[in-house]
Amino acid sequence: MRSITLPILAVFFLAALSLPVFDAEAASDLANVEQMSESEIMKLGEKMYREGILPSGKPMEAFIRGDVEVDSTAFSCSSCHLRAGLGSYEGGVITPPTNGKKLYAPYRRPPSMGDSQDRAGRYIYAKTVVERPAYDRESLAYSLRFGIDPAGQTFNDVMPRYPLSERDMGILVRYLELLSSKPSPGAGGTEFNFATIITDDVGNDDREALLNPIRLFIKQKNQQMALYKEFLKFDYSPTIDMKYAFHNATLDIWELSGAPDTWGSQLHEYLKKKPVFAVLGGISNKSWQPVHDFCEEQRLPCLFPITDLPVVSDRDWYTFYFNKGFYQEGEALARYLNRHETYSGTSRIIQIVEDSEKGKALAAGFNRGWGELDRPAVTTVTLTATELNNFALIGRLLAKENPSVILLWTGDTVLTALPELLKPYGNGVTLFMSAGYLGQNVLKTDQSLRDRVYFTYPYRLTPYVGIKEGGRDARVPILATAKDLGNRRITSRTVSMLQQVALRGLNLIYDNHYRDHLLDVMGMQMDLIVNDYERLSFGPGQRFASKGCYVLKLGKGESPELIPVSEWVIH
Amino acid sequence: MYRKSGLRPVKQMLMILVFVLVCPAMVFAEQKYKRSYEEYSLPDVVLVNQDGKRVGLKSLIEVGRPVVVDFIYATCTTICPVLSAGYVNLQNKIADPKQRPLMISISIDPENDNPKKMKEYLKRYNAKPGWEFLTGSRADIDRVMRAFNAYIPDKMSHYPLNLIRSPKDGKWTRLLGILSSGEFLKEYMAVVNR
Repeated sequence: MRSITLPILAVFFLAALSLPVFDAEAASDLANVEQMSESEIMKLGEKMYREGILPSGKPMEAFIRGDVEVDSTAFSCSSCHLRAGLGSYEGGVITPPTNGKKLYAPYRRPPSMGDSQDRAGRYIYAKTVVERPAYDRESLAYSLRFGIDPAGQTFNDVMPRYPLSERDMGILVRYLELLSSKPSPGAGGTEFNFATIITDDVGNDDREALLNPIRLFIKQKNQQMALYKEFLKFDYSPTIDMKYAFHNATLDIWELSGAPDTWGSQLHEYLKKKPVFAVLGGISNKSWQPVHDFCEEQRLPCLFPITDLPVVSDRDWYTFYFNKGFYQEGEALARYLNRHETYSGTSRIIQIVEDSEKGKALAAGFNRGWGELDRPAVTTVTLTATELNNFALIGRLLAKENPSVILLWTGDTVLTALPELLKPYGNGVTLFMSAGYLGQNVLKTDQSLRDRVYFTYPYRLTPYVGIKEGGRDARVPILATAKDLGNRRITSRTVSMLQQVALRGLNLIYDNHYRDHLLDVMGMQMDLIVNDYERLSFGPGQRFASKGCYVLKLGKGESPELIPVSEWVIH
Repeated sequence: MYRKSGLRPVKQMLMILVFVLVCPAMVFAEQKYKRSYEEYSLPDVVLVNQDGKRVGLKSLIEVGRPVVVDFIYATCTTICPVLSAGYVNLQNKIADPKQRPLMISISIDPENDNPKKMKEYLKRYNAKPGWEFLTGSRADIDRVMRAFNAYIPDKMSHYPLNLIRSPKDGKWTRLLGILSSGEFLKEYMAVVNR
């Protein structure tokens, strides 16, 4: 016989607290919760729901399968039910909605989603409640404590049981009632308003490369809706999928001009004039920081803008990026050098950084990546554009440091001077530069140096040609060539964003028109193979879809092949 | 200020009643996982642990102490936290560090799970020494998953699996499903005492 463990005793001791009708203290606690303002409930409840922290500041206790104690700071409500509270489907586990609007109505789970086991019996753990009546406050509190719904059915084993006090339970229940209770701005019954953002440093060709696919997308959405209306005229009954798949859509172009520190106020004006549900891409050659900050502040999704200067954050939520841009090239190089003792074993690494946003982003990625690998900081010298034209100065710098590895986070000026600058060092020096920054200028690398100058390259080298045995990453001959260097891939990346990401996300949210829900479902997607990257991978909270980078060198000739010297560097 | 309610004894009686009626159903919960005994041939791959060190998988696993393996990823929201809570509880239940198994979590999201993220993950769970979180190239991770008959093409379709290796004969106990911490300890002790 299994012993009754203390945690279970604790749960049942707290069961007593679930009988508030008999308890004056409990009644008083609940009355206090009733008097709390919505903003206070949202603040305290959000902390419980998202971070597993009680209003007292202590972690929420929880138990799984009777005796597996979990700390809710590592396993919060939003971990499974996601931010918007509309639930998820992952790893064969369905997590049903937890917002009040859905909880206080009868629920029936869509059939055929994980409630039958496959031949290996793998989905036996995934059985969840198929149907239940509506909750009320009392039955909701009871179910959170004991894992039993109003029909007496027991929850799935992965749903923790929470022995909360009356007050804390009252706050959590009221928070759930307020969670995703009204559609987000910019979403009507059958219409979504979108915007895209273009800054005034972007040339006309790049601008059109972005706008053409987005305009086409909007046009197609509206045509689909028109066709759907015709379909209904003939008395056909739409399927549930059809009912929620079609929407009219509008597009506003938010043009930003002037100094980046004025972009925030410009964006406020645009949003005030016409609220939008999400920002579909955008483009800038400057740092995306002001737009990123605005979207965080407004809780506005911004989907895959074309930028090499994103905000690299582990916590921010509202902007999805393709990758970390220049920062990622520097970070990947740190990982590559760390794995090759030839380079990392030396103490003579020098980093020459152009005093520009690009140079600094490349260096920041390298420094952070290198530091995370517990490597000592390398010698870093930041030079202005004028100083980078002073080859005598650079020559003296190299003579002083006598490096064996040089990271040259600059444009092409120094690249063309390299044969002269490296003469004193023979074959003893290896250089690394950014192909993302140099683009076609990579081709200026002197033929004599092509075995010693390597480039970070954050794009795909092996185009996807179909599903192969052994998975989707089967290798095919490298088709990317020097002509691909410098291609910003604005249209192809925007099409990926629209067709494979935004469109999929919009279809999956059905009639739950909440911005957070759109981001939730996009984060739970399976990996994608697209033209421009080796793999786009997602996951709750992950905001940089492509995580790797190649290190490559050039072949000989004026149209050289791109020769990888690394695999796709991810760590 | 709290004033004692005259109904408190009623509440206490009800508490006992709830306990007596409901507790047996939870304490004697049915076994909800599948057990089988397997032999695996491990690939000779080098993976990276949470400290950034390169680790040969075969040499790490084929040692003279019990080894537990699972497949997780750092941002997973459903099964992995449960599996990891199981690891933590097993570490806590075995007081003597020498009696504890070597616990290995292998990432199924190698693009995202780098040493820093894996280290943070272990810290979040208050992992004790002896719990290794490994990542590697996509190709190597795929080879490892295949070797354990646990291949999935995408992390979003993973399932809960614990594997326990006996150092005596190198055979594995394969546990498919979610285990209570008592069940996990029992399965582990069965391997140790075999």
